[in-house]
Amino acid sequence: MRYILLLLLSLNLFAVDATLTIEKDVEQRARIALVDASPMIDEKFFKILLSDLKISGHFLADATHHQGDINSNYLLPVLKSKEYILKYALTKQVETKLLIRLLKAADGTELFKKSYAIPTTNKAPFLAHKAISDINNVLKYSDISWINRYVIFSRYTTPKHSEILLADYTFNYKKVIIKGGLNLFPKWADRDQKSFYYSSYSGLTPTLNKINIYTGSKQKITSSEGMMVCSDVSKDGSKLLLTMAPQGQADIYELDLASGAKSRVTAFNGIDVNGKYVDNESSIVFISNRLGYANVYKKSIHSAAVSQVVYHGRNNNAVDADGGKIVYSSRESQNSFGKNRFNLYLTLSGSSTTRPLTTTGVNQFPRFSPDGSVVLFIKHRANGSSIGYINLDSRQSLLFPLSGRKIQSIDW
Amino acid sequence: MIRKIVLTTATLSLLIFTGCGQTAPDLDGANAGKNNVSDATQIASDTVTIDENKYGNQNSADSSNGNSTGKYNSSSDGFQSIYFGFGDYGIATGMEDRISGNTGVIKNAGAARIKIEGNCDEFGTDEYNYALGLKRAKAVKDSIAAQGGDTSKMHIISFGESNPVCSSPTDSCYERNRRVDLHLVK
Repeated sequence: MRYILLLLLSLNLFAVDATLTIEKDVEQRARIALVDASPMIDEKFFKILLSDLKISGHFLADATHHQGDINSNYLLPVLKSKEYILKYALTKQVETKLLIRLLKAADGTELFKKSYAIPTTNKAPFLAHKAISDINNVLKYSDISWINRYVIFSRYTTPKHSEILLADYTFNYKKVIIKGGLNLFPKWADRDQKSFYYSSYSGLTPTLNKINIYTGSKQKITSSEGMMVCSDVSKDGSKLLLTMAPQGQADIYELDLASGAKSRVTAFNGIDVNGKYVDNESSIVFISNRLGYANVYKKSIHSAAVSQVVYHGRNNNAVDADGGKIVYSSRESQNSFGKNRFNLYLTLSGSSTTRPLTTTGVNQFPRFSPDGSVVLFIKHRANGSSIGYINLDSRQSLLFPLSGRKIQSIDW
Repeated sequence: MIRKIVLTTATLSLLIFTGCGQTAPDLDGANAGKNNVSDATQIASDTVTIDENKYGNQNSADSSNGNSTGKYNSSSDGFQSIYFGFGDYGIATGMEDRISGNTGVIKNAGAARIKIEGNCDEFGTDEYNYALGLKRAKAVKDSIAAQGGDTSKMHIISFGESNPVCSSPTDSCYERNRRVDLHLVK
C-alpha cells in the first residue's frame, strides 16, 4: 500500500515538474491518424507531418505509420476511434508533389482535398508544412502559418569566416545563401521574407547590406566603425533598430530608411545592444551592462528615462519582443564561464509577471514568431545542440537536433 | 485513512493525465465539400546562393608565438596582443608594458594604418559579445592614445567570438581568446 501511495505521489510530482512541457489538455486536441499512400514510403516526411501536427497544439497525432490507398474512403476499423484521417501521397518525379485528403474518421466523408507541388525534392518539408497549416485552417483552429516560414541563420565555419543559410523550421531543409567571408546577424527585412539585412565584414568597416533571396540584388544600407547589427525591423519595414558605434561606443540607433536619418536612442558609456521594439514601437527593450552585468532594460524612444525590466538572474544577455511580450535568456548558475544553466523567461511590458519557459540546459537566442505565438530558441546540452520551439498557448514544445557548426545568430 | 489518500491521489492523477473533456470542432458535412480544392500550388521559387569568398580572406591569427613569460601573442608586425579577464574590458596592470610597446610600434610605423581587433571567448550571445569585443578594442586604442599614439591612424573593429585562436574547453584557452590583436593594414 505504501509503495502504491509513493508511486501515485511520484506520478503527481512528475506531472507538476513537467509544468513547462504540460501539453494542452489531451481531450481538447483532435485525434488524427496519417495514412501514407506514397509509391515510395518516406519515414522522414511522415515524421515532419507528425511534428507539424504536434507543434500546432491542435492535434493529437497517432504515431503509427499506417499505409493505404489514397482514393479509397475505406478506413481500417482501428482508425475509427480517431476524429480525422489524413491520407497523403508524396511523389518525387520531375516535380515533388503532395496530394492530401482529409477524411472524417466516423464515416469516411471527405472534408478537404488539395495537391501541392514544388520544383526541388529537398524542399519537400515545405509541402508538409503547407498541407498541415491548410488542414489547420480548414478545421478553423487558430493560425499556424509560421510553420511555412524560412528560418535564416549564420554559422561560423573557420576563424573570421561564416555562412548564412535558409532552413525550414525543422532544419530538415537547409540551403547556404551566402558563403565565404564573414557575414553576420541576418535579419528578415519584410514580412514576406523576400529580403534580409546582414552585417558584412568585407572591409575595414562593418557594413549593413540588404539582399533579395530570389534575385541576389544587394543594397548597401549603412556602415559603422567597430560593429554593426540590425537588431529589429519595424512592422511596416520602414525603420530599423541598429547597434552601431560611430564613435567607437556601442549604442542603439533608429534608422528611418526613407529619409536616411539616424537618431541615437541610447547613450551610455558601457554596452547597450539588442534593441527590440515594444508597445507599438514607441519604446524599446534592450540589453545593457549599466549595473555591471548584462540585463534587460526598457526606454521610450523619445525620452531619456531607462527602467529595469528583469530583477533576477546573473547575466540576462539576450532579449526579443513582440507587441508587449518580452522573452529573455537568463543565466542562473554560479560559474563565470564553463558549464552554465541559461533559461528562457516570458514577461510582459509593464508587468512583474514572469513565466519560465525552459528548466534545463543552456537555452539562448530566443526569437518570437511573427505572430508572437511561438518562441524559437537554441538549446545546448551535454549530448548536443537543438533548435527548439515553444507554443506559448498550448505549451507544446519541440526540439530538432542541430549538427555541426556553431550558430552565430538566427531569425525567422 | 491511507485508502482514502490513495483514492484521492488516484483521482487527482487521473484528472491530471486526462484533463477535462472538450471535443474538437466539427465540420458541417454538407458544407465540407466547398472546401475541396485541387490545384498544384508552387510554394516558392528557388533562392540564390552568393559566393563571397573573394572577401574576408584575412588569415586567421597565428597562435604559435608564445613569448618567454609564457604569455601568448596573436598580433603581427611587432605588436603584442592585450589579454582581458572574463567579461572585462579594462586594461589589466600586467598588460601596461604591452600597451607601451605597441605605442612605440605605432610611432615607428610612419603613415601606416593600424587595425585594432577586439575578440571574446565563446560565452555570451551574439550582439553582447560583439559589443564586448569592441569595448576591448576601444580600451586599447584609448590607452595607446594616452601614451601619445596617433588615433587618426587607428581603426577599431570587433570580431566577437568569431576569431578564436584556441578551441579547447579549458580556462587557459578561453583566456587566450579574450584579447585584442593589432596589425598593420596592408
